[in-house]
Amino acid sequence: MLKIEKLCKNYGKFPALKELSLEIPDGQLHGFVGPNGAGKTTTMRILATLMAPTSGAAWVDGTNLIREGQKARKLVGYMPDFFGVYDNLTCNEYLDFYARCYRIGAAERKRMGAQLLELVQLQEKGNEYVNALSRGMKQRLCLARSLIHDPKLLILDEPASGMDPRARAEMKGILRTLREMGKTVLISSHILPELSEMCDSLTILDHGELVFSGSVEGLSERMNGNAPLDIRLAENAGGEAVEETVRCLRELPYITEILQEEPFLLRVRLEGGEDVCMAMMRELVTRNLPVCDFHRAPMNLEKVFMEVTQDA
Amino acid sequence: MLNPILSFSAIRRMRTFRTMLIVIAYEAALLVLAMAIMGGFLKDELYLNAMERGPLCYAVMLGAQFVMLFLIAPAMTSGAIAGERERQTLDLLLVTNTGSFRIVTGKILESFALLALLIICAMPAECLCLMMGGVTVLQILTGTLFLLSVALACSAVGVLCSSLCRSTVVSGVMSYIVLLGIGVVTTLPFLFGYSQKITDVVYDAAKYAELTPAGARAMIPKLLYLNPGFGLLSLVQGQLHVLTDYMTGHGWGRIYCTWLMMDRADCRIIAVICAGGLVLVSAALAGVAALLIRKSRRKE
Repeated sequence: MLKIEKLCKNYGKFPALKELSLEIPDGQLHGFVGPNGAGKTTTMRILATLMAPTSGAAWVDGTNLIREGQKARKLVGYMPDFFGVYDNLTCNEYLDFYARCYRIGAAERKRMGAQLLELVQLQEKGNEYVNALSRGMKQRLCLARSLIHDPKLLILDEPASGMDPRARAEMKGILRTLREMGKTVLISSHILPELSEMCDSLTILDHGELVFSGSVEGLSERMNGNAPLDIRLAENAGGEAVEETVRCLRELPYITEILQEEPFLLRVRLEGGEDVCMAMMRELVTRNLPVCDFHRAPMNLEKVFMEVTQDA
Repeated sequence: MLNPILSFSAIRRMRTFRTMLIVIAYEAALLVLAMAIMGGFLKDELYLNAMERGPLCYAVMLGAQFVMLFLIAPAMTSGAIAGERERQTLDLLLVTNTGSFRIVTGKILESFALLALLIICAMPAECLCLMMGGVTVLQILTGTLFLLSVALACSAVGVLCSSLCRSTVVSGVMSYIVLLGIGVVTTLPFLFGYSQKITDVVYDAAKYAELTPAGARAMIPKLLYLNPGFGLLSLVQGQLHVLTDYMTGHGWGRIYCTWLMMDRADCRIIAVICAGGLVLVSAALAGVAALLIRKSRRKE
């Protein structure tokens, strides 16, 4: 289990991470979401032992990632967002090199190398030079590299960035396999719909602060309570009815925003809970306005993300 | 288990065309030099100076290699760590269980291995001196060992500069400046700290005759022992005793006096001290470079 407690990181006087606390159970695919500069990469680099935090601590299965660097590196696999490969090395040699860096024995190196190339579907490329591979293949090879020492926690910083749709789909398949293998995967990405499909849980960061942490369903449920209301008007009522409805809504004190999404569809934000919704609906019906549909606007992860990070 | 940084960096380097070109150019330059001196030897109809041409050939080849090492080493080592940063592979290395010192020693030994290859491959060319006489196989082997110690020090300086810089080009330039700086700084005691006592002893036959090798060594400024050029000259003097005669003829004052003092101190011992000093300095530089990497690993 990954446990992060009050993790802070300051770059000079700028706080990049503010008391981040988090727990991720074993075998979960956990999405790390946030706009640029939210502190995702900083957190991942601290967990990968590449950076020391200003304060706070993190543990993987009880091993302190900050204080027990050597021991922690055996437990953590890391794939950065930008990385290079060595030229003049074949894929087999590339994996063998990193396996030796982890001090893995010869027989185990050979077995792991072959298994991982098969996992990332590069078994045919074992004897080809790494610099001759496509970008997607290099990403997959780097993923295999991060798994060479069989880590418990896998940290993937934007693993699918710059990949074409096919390569993305292949990467997604590999990540699902890793979850089935019982690995805990911490994955950051800007492709939010992809994360919502894959991840069991999510953490949203903004300006170094934790905005949300929990299951994808939990996030949607929480946000649906604050979702705007869509009011569809009867098309045969004409434009005047729409104007009349807007006028009526503007008179209501709890309405904060009115948007005309389509000619006969209004999106309304209001302050208050279900009772306020009921009052608004009653008002519209009492005034005999041609309302034919009334429901909460559907929220996908993209919209939820925009909502959450806008507030923070 | 062999250091993977050493073995895999060496594999990668040996697969490049550039390495092959460097080896060929280095050996060809030495061969041309040896053949030129040998050509003069063959044209000499009376063979009167036959015994002088062998040592001359050996000394010139040793000096040429010494200069070439200083020119090649920074270019070879500048990318050791800075190149990893530029390629964005350093992070991938730092998240492994390989410690900073192991990374640095791997990089130094890999650069040293190529320089050692150049030096060892030059031995057949050096052996041409044997044909002219005046030089022994043991002397060639000793000269090779001294050059290896210089190569190790150059590699360590290059890797230290590489761990300090973000760019390979800056690291290369810095390495040249640092090597030049080491040469200048270790020569300063000779220029500004020269003791009149040396001249007094050298020109007083009785005192000079009584002077023990240890006593003579004590009179030579200590920092001079870390000057690789001084070490090389000591080696050549200790082996061939040709330089004092040359200096006597040209009246080199203070240099001549120091030289006589070195002769008294046993030049071969000075060369050994210098080589040992260079190895120790290399180890110290490796330690500093490892600390720098360790610092960048944890306190970014």
